[in-house]
Amino acid sequence: MARFDRIKGDYVYIEVQNVEYRVYFEEKGSGIPLLCQHSAVTDGQQWRHVLNDGDITSRYRVIVPDLPYHGKSLPPESVEWWKEEYRLTKSFFKDFILEFSHALGLERPVFLGGCMGGCLGLYLALEHPNKFKAVVGLECVLRSEEASLDFWDHPRISNNFKAAATWSLMAPGSPEKYRRETVWKFSQSAPSVMKGDFHYFFKDHNLTGQTQDIDTSRIPIYLLTGEYDAVVSPEDTRRLAEQIKGARFIEMKGLGHLSLCENPEALKRYLMPILKDIAGV
Amino acid sequence: MKVVFLDSSKVEGLRNAINNDTEFKLAARFMSEDVLLEVDESRCIVKVQDGVVTEIKLNPPSDAYWSFSIKATAESWDKLLQSSPPPFYTGLNAGMMRGNLQIIGNMEVAFAYFWAMNRMLDMMRELQNK
Amino acid sequence: MFKIEAITGKYGYLTVHEVEYRVYFEENGEGIPLLCQHTAGGDGRQWRHLLNDEEVTSKYRVVAVDLPYHGKSLPPEAVGWWKEEYKLTKSFFVDFLVEFSHALGLDRPVFIGCSMGGHMALDLALERPDKFRAVIGLESAEFTPGLDLIWFDHPRISGEFKFANLFESTAPSSPENYRREVGWVYSQSAPPVFRGDLHYYSVEHNVTGQLQQIDTSRIAVYLLCGEYDFASTPEMCRQAASKIKGAKYKEMKGLGHFPIVENYKLCKKYLMPILEEITKIH
Repeated sequence: MARFDRIKGDYVYIEVQNVEYRVYFEEKGSGIPLLCQHSAVTDGQQWRHVLNDGDITSRYRVIVPDLPYHGKSLPPESVEWWKEEYRLTKSFFKDFILEFSHALGLERPVFLGGCMGGCLGLYLALEHPNKFKAVVGLECVLRSEEASLDFWDHPRISNNFKAAATWSLMAPGSPEKYRRETVWKFSQSAPSVMKGDFHYFFKDHNLTGQTQDIDTSRIPIYLLTGEYDAVVSPEDTRRLAEQIKGARFIEMKGLGHLSLCENPEALKRYLMPILKDIAGV
Repeated sequence: MKVVFLDSSKVEGLRNAINNDTEFKLAARFMSEDVLLEVDESRCIVKVQDGVVTEIKLNPPSDAYWSFSIKATAESWDKLLQSSPPPFYTGLNAGMMRGNLQIIGNMEVAFAYFWAMNRMLDMMRELQNK
Repeated sequence: MFKIEAITGKYGYLTVHEVEYRVYFEENGEGIPLLCQHTAGGDGRQWRHLLNDEEVTSKYRVVAVDLPYHGKSLPPEAVGWWKEEYKLTKSFFVDFLVEFSHALGLDRPVFIGCSMGGHMALDLALERPDKFRAVIGLESAEFTPGLDLIWFDHPRISGEFKFANLFESTAPSSPENYRREVGWVYSQSAPPVFRGDLHYYSVEHNVTGQLQQIDTSRIAVYLLCGEYDFASTPEMCRQAASKIKGAKYKEMKGLGHFPIVENYKLCKKYLMPILEEITKIH
């Protein structure tokens, strides 16, 4: 083959809350571990441009897992998952990241997450500030509410709806090919996953009354949100940042809700200085 | 500026533009629904039969059937139809999430054909800004 | 000590019919190259048990590719794919596999495919006997018309339908969790993909009247079919084999349309003798 991406994909077995999971992950680079968490519904491919960015992988060992039930990470073999309604909980999400990080021997990684991933980062900062070097959260909010999640997993609605709903959440100026790729990934998920992930984001996630306990002197927090984000507006994130003493907030002009993959060049302009800052460059 | 789908001199052009759009044709190929569009107190119904817009009916009677409605103020429609729309007006879901438009009626059908509706909005945008 | 599988996933760039594709594939093992083709609407995960089988990987370099639009192989960046109806053509499918083999330096690999991969085994034996040393077709048939149903890509029907439909294609005696896994992978595929693949499976693949042209002295042909396969039945597979002089056929008792996923242990009883024979003869 003329060209390879030099990204390596692997499968690791980890145990989370007494259940074994076969977890797919990709990695590239060397240096400070950078653990990247994808947003709801999709998988680690959202981070493919970060994985392929030599400016980042020359300083960071970038690691991107697919959460169970997402991408190449299958549901667990030992559970009769077909008898349950898939629901991502804060408890599981947190424990998964901790176990995965431990399994790969990651020494105080930087945690970078988009939307539900970003929000999860704040719990990691709150409860395990000694285990992570910094948290970079895209599209973070104190809490979000959605009246009904039923349409996201409905036998009479195809996955085209998930793609269509995501389309208008991105900035119109983001390159079309990346926006198309982004919504393709949203259409490529098992029926129950979107609703199940949204359970975490819209019902389980709530930092009310806890933000003052995040100690940014132990773990720096960077919060970034796109100008066009209709799910989590820049104002939503600014208000959250104001409640976390020492947190840095940046509005990303010209980006929308899928900032992690809708416009890699634009994201890099905001992300790179932060990653350099964390690396002490 | 008058909203394009309420302009009797432009609706036929709009109907043709939607029907000629490849993506609309793919997304709407099983769609047979009537969609009400509301701009303040003004209304029109986009009639779709087997994926083809057969008519855009202005000022329909109050008891006309429709399966779902896309409703917004004139001010919101103005922003939704800008060639480079501002934040929170970039499409139907963005507009809905921020309360800038409402989708009322048979939500299941509206969401099943959401892609087709986004394309219809794109065609409206193109013609609005010609 | 955490177990990390020996499988490695990689991305490479491949040009087919003048379009560049970013292709995901997994591999494990050393020896004779064994190129594995997933089913319509599936992806390379279907080969995960084979990829992890040391008895196989000690003799074979096992490679499982995700076709474009499947799994981690995205649609091509250079094409406005969203404006087209996705359809897998025989021409593209054949050329993709040949180009991919060439790009990875696979020297006359053994090709193994299931369902549409099983059909492709016959097409490759007919059209590219010089490029492969043997083909192993699981659930192969000469022609399986009428299965590209509109319901597989319909805005009013969720992926649950694909799950239910393909789950039913497995044998009732296969382990429940693996039967469910078959359905799960299908339910994850993007809406147009399964039906688009079935265009090849049900419309373009038709080797009726041609199989006698296959020369098994140039390319060995092994066909296997699950007892419970109702889409592409054992009788259809046996018929196809009977028209190829020197081809070997076996019905796989207790298996359905997805033998390598639904019950690999049982499938291996049929597959391993073939793989061993190939190492000795071809």
